[in-house]
Amino acid sequence: MKAFQQNVAKLEAADTQVLGVSMDSPFANFNFAQQNGISFPLLSDRDGTVVREYGLEKEYAPGGVKMLSARRATFLIDKSGKVVEEQVDNDAIDPSKVVEACERQKLKG
Amino acid sequence: MPRILMATLLTLAMLLAAGGAAARPPEDKPAPAPMKIKVGDLAPDFTLLDFDGKELKKVSLHDYRGKKNVALAFYVFAFTGG
Repeated sequence: MKAFQQNVAKLEAADTQVLGVSMDSPFANFNFAQQNGISFPLLSDRDGTVVREYGLEKEYAPGGVKMLSARRATFLIDKSGKVVEEQVDNDAIDPSKVVEACERQKLKG
Repeated sequence: MPRILMATLLTLAMLLAAGGAAARPPEDKPAPAPMKIKVGDLAPDFTLLDFDGKELKKVSLHDYRGKKNVALAFYVFAFTGG
């Protein structure tokens, strides 16, 4: 999320709203945003409905205790609601490809 | 050649070889799971909550339809880095 924050000005200039999504509570997300200076909304998918809908459910078992979470992924969705770029797992940490894709979208109008 | 220099060179060569091996992608790594949502698909709509410090607000994907692109970034958990 910090990497997205560093690119938020570029993304906004390319007419793009950043939305973070995780299975944290809205209150945990608020604290996370405050501590890290995150200015875009961090949405709470507490029961994982949206995570499942996007096919990103992932089970972790730290210390053998099962815990459901989201798989790391970024989707760039254009104004018509269509997915135009996607990145998953470690590729989704660095948003530069998404920034480039937004800038291409901007050129297209 | 002094023994100590020989040993140092050998160690260096071994370290370099190990580094080279580590840089190669492991062959038995399982392929990542295929994506359910693909480029070109319509992104499933949703409504989720955001807390701004005062109140809980609903945010929907359709709020941005026809207005802005959306970079939707799923992350593992808050406070876990990345």
